[in-house]
Amino acid sequence: MQLNKNTALERLGTLGMDDMPVMEYTPKRSALAPDWFKKYCELRREFLSSLTDCMEEIAFMNMSQNDFMNLMMGRELPENLSIRFKIPLLWGGELKIDNMFLCMTFPVSYNLDRFIIDQSDANTVFLPDPKKKIYLTTHTGGGGVGGNAASDRLSQSAFNFMSGRGNE
Amino acid sequence: MTTTEFLSLIKSRGATIFPVAQNVNLSIVNTNLQNMRVAILQPFMIDLYNNCSGITLGSACIFGPSEIDRGIKYPLPSLEKINHDMTGNKNLFGKTVFGRNDLFWFAFDVNGTCFMLDNLTLSVLRKYDDPYRAMIDCLIVGKI
Repeated sequence: MQLNKNTALERLGTLGMDDMPVMEYTPKRSALAPDWFKKYCELRREFLSSLTDCMEEIAFMNMSQNDFMNLMMGRELPENLSIRFKIPLLWGGELKIDNMFLCMTFPVSYNLDRFIIDQSDANTVFLPDPKKKIYLTTHTGGGGVGGNAASDRLSQSAFNFMSGRGNE
Repeated sequence: MTTTEFLSLIKSRGATIFPVAQNVNLSIVNTNLQNMRVAILQPFMIDLYNNCSGITLGSACIFGPSEIDRGIKYPLPSLEKINHDMTGNKNLFGKTVFGRNDLFWFAFDVNGTCFMLDNLTLSVLRKYDDPYRAMIDCLIVGKI
């Protein structure tokens, strides 16, 4: 399916990622180097170690202490977190940290797979292009405007929780 | 390899194996899969679902017959939900997706053959006659 920028953003909106920036890209089918998997494994660890500059996003990920330490030390990726390429390797993406981002496996990474698969027969595709190393949807990262201005009780509770207040 | 040996092996690698769901009727799952024009559950999947209701290892997973609640983590969708989401994809015609990781998707067909699919176009990258080999390849990438 050939999308344009508006339809791509609309599709991402229906998949719950209305704040995900996109880039237009013409896939260049490319073969992988024989040692790509070894390099990929090393790069994943390097990427994890580089996440210390994303403390704000990590704080919103609601991880246990063990998961947090494993992530920070670059030891292992906690469950339900995925490392994705902005430009997939098979479409000419490079094995570089700049080409990677971290997101939740479900629902984000799974829905991004669906978003890309939908465009698999198109000449130009729209790929997710998060500006930071960690992508969290606004729905995950915050509770809306909060207080009396919140649109529903859940948003209000989330805001109260985030700002360290009680729910009374 | 038997299902028990597979589960034992994958558990020793750190996988989380979710207990069998009590209220799931596999015949209904099969009927729903048939309605989606995808492959019905093969004997190895039925055997697996008689021993567990899904497996995760890092970011890799084998979907279960029902949604799995994981506490504060987002629930693991059911096999039916995944295949319903993918309905209409021509590369998946006759195949049922049963697992995924950060790099590949995995599916089986009506003959019990398993496939490794790329996560961009869902085209076949590899065929497996041994379904346990496919499930191991699916899960092991979750913890690299």
